[in-house]
Amino acid sequence: MDNREVLVDIKNLRTFFYTEDGVVPAVDGIDLTIHRGEVVGLVGESGCGKSVTALSILRLIPNPPGKIIGGEIFFHGQDLLKKNEEEMRMIRGDKISMIFQEPMTSLNPVYTIGDQISEAITLHQKIDGAESKKRTIEMIHLVGIPEPERRFSQYPHEMSGGMRQRVMIAMALSSNPELLISDEATTALDVTIQAQILDLMRGLQKKLGMAILIITHNLAVVAEMAETISIAYAGKIVESASAKETFKSPRHPYTYGLLQSIPKFTEKKTNEPLPAIEGMVPSPYHMPKGCRFNPRCPFATEKCREEEPEILELTPGHLVRCFYPIES
Amino acid sequence: MRDYIIRRVLGMIPLILIVMIVSFGIFSLVPSPFAALSENPRIKKADIQRLKHAWGFDLKWYLRFFKWFSGVIRGDWGPSLLYPGSMARDVIARALPVTVRLMGIEFLVSLVIALPIGIISAVKQYSVTDYVVTVISFLGMSMPSFWLGLMMMMLFSVVLKRPDGITPLLPAGGIITPGLEDASFWVKFGDRAQYLVLPVFVLSFISIGGYARYMRSSMLEVIRQDYIRTARAKGVPERSVVNKHALRNAMIPIVTLVALSMPGIVGGAAITETIFNIPGMGRLIIAAEIKADYPTAMIGLLLISVLVIVFNLVADIVYAWVDPRIKYS
Amino acid sequence: MAEKVIEAKKKGQKKSSEDYTYVGMVFHRLTRHKLAMVGAFMLIFILLFVFVGPLVWRANPNEQIEGLEGMFNVPSRAHPMGTDDYGRDVLARMFFGGRISLFIGFISAITSTLIGALVGLVAGYYGGWADDLLMRFTDAMLSIPTFPLLIALASVLGKGVWQIILVIVIFGWMVDARLVRGLVLSLKEQEYVEAAHAIGASANRIMWRHLFPNTLAVLIVSTTIGIGGAIIYEASISFLGFGVQAPFASWGNMLQNAQQFIWNSPRLIIYPGLAIFMTVLGFNFFGDGLRDAIDPKLKL
Repeated sequence: MDNREVLVDIKNLRTFFYTEDGVVPAVDGIDLTIHRGEVVGLVGESGCGKSVTALSILRLIPNPPGKIIGGEIFFHGQDLLKKNEEEMRMIRGDKISMIFQEPMTSLNPVYTIGDQISEAITLHQKIDGAESKKRTIEMIHLVGIPEPERRFSQYPHEMSGGMRQRVMIAMALSSNPELLISDEATTALDVTIQAQILDLMRGLQKKLGMAILIITHNLAVVAEMAETISIAYAGKIVESASAKETFKSPRHPYTYGLLQSIPKFTEKKTNEPLPAIEGMVPSPYHMPKGCRFNPRCPFATEKCREEEPEILELTPGHLVRCFYPIES
Repeated sequence: MRDYIIRRVLGMIPLILIVMIVSFGIFSLVPSPFAALSENPRIKKADIQRLKHAWGFDLKWYLRFFKWFSGVIRGDWGPSLLYPGSMARDVIARALPVTVRLMGIEFLVSLVIALPIGIISAVKQYSVTDYVVTVISFLGMSMPSFWLGLMMMMLFSVVLKRPDGITPLLPAGGIITPGLEDASFWVKFGDRAQYLVLPVFVLSFISIGGYARYMRSSMLEVIRQDYIRTARAKGVPERSVVNKHALRNAMIPIVTLVALSMPGIVGGAAITETIFNIPGMGRLIIAAEIKADYPTAMIGLLLISVLVIVFNLVADIVYAWVDPRIKYS
Repeated sequence: MAEKVIEAKKKGQKKSSEDYTYVGMVFHRLTRHKLAMVGAFMLIFILLFVFVGPLVWRANPNEQIEGLEGMFNVPSRAHPMGTDDYGRDVLARMFFGGRISLFIGFISAITSTLIGALVGLVAGYYGGWADDLLMRFTDAMLSIPTFPLLIALASVLGKGVWQIILVIVIFGWMVDARLVRGLVLSLKEQEYVEAAHAIGASANRIMWRHLFPNTLAVLIVSTTIGIGGAIIYEASISFLGFGVQAPFASWGNMLQNAQQFIWNSPRLIIYPGLAIFMTVLGFNFFGDGLRDAIDPKLKL
């Protein structure tokens, strides 16, 4: 069990999108807990609701067409969903920060990166002018960008993708937040740059002690970084356990399938095709009845097609949403 | 950046050439520009011969073109047939300021109204305001300018009268009350103003719609961008998100639009000037065409076209200067 | 696919985007667009007025009533819209004038779109010097202020319906050329063009079979809005006397010398102008809705 203080506690979050073509239940009952200083991984395929969960924490869901229609998000014991816009604004960028997937488009092209980082500093700390510039240059240096003074007056398009992502991190960490949400922050980068950025994040986490919520579809990333992993599918969490447990003994058929489909370096060479999970992610407009994974599950029974399983704690700290979890 | 400018300036030359050729070509298709002149008993045959020679009508068409071309470049724009005795250059010089004043005011009025409306429309998309603005824009874009002008004239000159019951509320045409040419600045100012109200209203009603929609779509495009989401995630207050982050980006295409509208300030609205009897460039060119004063018409056309080409270039340069992505690359 | 739709309907569930064909989807979105439906309604009304009208109200649009008493008559049972400055029945002239104005608008818009599309396709597909040449020419034509030149051309070519159409087309194709060229340039990069190339399709085939159909949607919108613009052009040219000539009526030339009507008979200004306004508005509303229906996200 984790004795660290609970920082963020998401209970039964439901965020729906009301579109012309129908209602999309993007997040339909997600539970997630993040402790102080903990690195939590949220893993799943495209469309499973992980990004929407992150945006919901900061209440950045575009409305229309999206709406958080249920659940609670406790931050230090206070429900963020009950706060007003002004209170949220003070939390964003200050106590909880977020970095996004596309470094190429996530920075404003008409302002220098120095300006953009300073803005974050000025907004939340009562300093400006020379003082904030100094702090900004410190941050630029902290994230490993050489020649910080020169870079201060550069525009985003003058930097590479990896460097821009470092700028994003500098912006996000400038006020020493308690939680950093990384929404597929390395997905759009080259593999080598990806590794660099992950190293940077790991180093900063040790140094500054903030919690990180890593959202990704890449299991390798969470294997490196996360202490705890939650697997999401079709808007719900289907498995949640420590990283070690998840990789050693996955209990949910989906997790099992995901792990099976990763080519492993140490296995003997065979001529068999890589096992893949049959079928496709369900359309949000036509969610299957019963367990949402049942059409693709090799072990599905009639019960799975009729009823939705609840989350069960199989062993301490290991939660699974399945009627027939795999034996460990 | 410098190379970019040089290349674009050089690129202008073929365009101007083509425009000159097209202008000249169209007017040389006209059967005989001298038919009307020949019938006028006040113009002597010898004068007509002189004119013919002066304009090179006794030459082959390509030679005539070169003659005209060199004349234009040197500033010799030929005599005016519309106002016999005057040179085309002077006639144009008299008409130009009138149009510039009218269109300049119209342009400012339009922008001042249209831009904020467009921004609000975008920020409050799908709201009642947005809807109303959209509908009004369409109304403006669908009305023939002369019809709106006539209707306004009817309303303000025929239906609505001043307290004395006889004088129209607003004058139905012209630019200044006769007799006031030598009055003091402020008297002239006030007098001129009343003549400008209707034409400016007509012209701006039609263009505000277009500008507002343009601003709206530029703003909508920008607000959807990732960096706006980043700004919000940073905790930037919504007002700053719009005014600082979004606007600065959304204005870039608008700057181009402004530069491209500049030639319109000279070309003006031919029809509106005609209806309201305003002696400007637009009316001049049309009148010149109707009365077969082709030299004047050609020059007028050429002038506006060249301005369009030049301002296209200016628009590109301003765009490059205002967008850091192009300036620093 | 069909079974899924039936299933959804049985359960009372709303159909989603996956259950429609492309055209079906466009139509569905279009019918829900309020302004577009208003526009469509207006257009249907105008079309009925212009085509069915003469069957209901039979009067000769060119027959003149002699003498001063015939002029500027107030609407009466004999002449529901009154008479004009030549003593002609205004309602009848509205019908036939409308037909001519709509005809000119329609033909001009379609022709200029087709020509523009051709130029755009060739310039976009072949690129290189052909593109340069065509685009320079297009830019030059765009620089020339349309209106004065319209008049000039009109006076050169003579006055009449076909001349107007020609004139409007000469100045209308450029916008579509630019539009199509831009579209082709971006489509060219897409993989299915590369694939067609790889299996040996000829340039012609790629242009007409693959690229053109994808520009069709854009062109349809452009034509719709272009009809409105063409009608206004015709009205303006005819207003100045260069367009449709007497005794034929067009909504534009009914407004010729309209300044005098302000005093004598204002309704002679209101009727044709209102008709033009409503027609153009209808096309603009409908065209805008069409654009949104075809691709709600695309900023054309």
